[in-house]
Amino acid sequence: MAAIFYIPPEHNRGESMASSDEQLKSELILDELKRRQRAKEIVDVEEEKVKVVIFVCGGNRYAFYGADIREILPSCEISWVPCLPGYLPGLINIRGDIESVIDISHFLGEEASGHKTCLIAMAVKGDFHSGIMIDSIEDVVDIPLSTVKPPLATLNGAVRDLVIGEIEHLGRTIALLDIGKLAGLIAL
Amino acid sequence: MNDLGETGLNLLLFSVGEVHFGIDSEQVAGINAFQGEDAGDLFWFHNEMGFGDATVTYLLPTVVTIRCPDEQPYRVIIDLMEDIREIATDSILPFPPLLEPFALRKGMWGVLLVEGKMVLLVDFMRILREKTAVSARHGGDE
Repeated sequence: MAAIFYIPPEHNRGESMASSDEQLKSELILDELKRRQRAKEIVDVEEEKVKVVIFVCGGNRYAFYGADIREILPSCEISWVPCLPGYLPGLINIRGDIESVIDISHFLGEEASGHKTCLIAMAVKGDFHSGIMIDSIEDVVDIPLSTVKPPLATLNGAVRDLVIGEIEHLGRTIALLDIGKLAGLIAL
Repeated sequence: MNDLGETGLNLLLFSVGEVHFGIDSEQVAGINAFQGEDAGDLFWFHNEMGFGDATVTYLLPTVVTIRCPDEQPYRVIIDLMEDIREIATDSILPFPPLLEPFALRKGMWGVLLVEGKMVLLVDFMRILREKTAVSARHGGDE
């Protein structure tokens, strides 16, 4: 039996074989796959998020950066100390340590609750640490950093000195307060 | 100093207006029942400490005569003496930094936790020193 050999014509051989500077089909496919993979990776990269603690004080909602709040203490009894200014209602005992308490309503222009027992948010930022009296916790959420808007230039009232930005939560605009600014106000 | 090498402090514990206080018993020269007397060297504790607008009712007023280094007469009316107790100085907690400047101005220098109660430690020498400084300032203004 005679063997059959296929020998492509000379002119066809030049068209089907890629020249050295021409990309191979496999290279094209691989490049495309990698391009798609890179695009996917870009999509998959999570937007930087920040945790915020949304709380109620005097009927209004405010927020702190979650990183500045170490813990929330429920039903903490405040021991009154004479001669303190109105925004410092006294001391609390946290597992054998004593901490100061700030009545933040004083700085927000809200009505003071006047309760001897209340919810305390323990704030820690740098050397500053103190309990902060709040009415209730509304939510603790992770939000994209890009959604923190600068505070309105037209913002007025006592809250202006404490606000670092504004966030949207459940259709409401909430003032994001800065613990560092609060510490600065008290140090004055 | 006790066997553990800790420095002890003998405290006279009392309360005024439901706030618990402690003073070093070494500062106390005498304790007498309050007889309703009124004298220039006799002060109500709540006025000395700056209780502000808080209404204070004394249930068992007692006069404590403070031992002053320069024999200056200084007596304070306290309420509800509870105990005289030796405590280790290690158990005293300083005031938190936010409160300390205000507290020291009124002679309060530390806090002690006794059976879940917060006891504010008062140094009458600090109060006296502050009063003397204030009166000297006022004297200088005149």
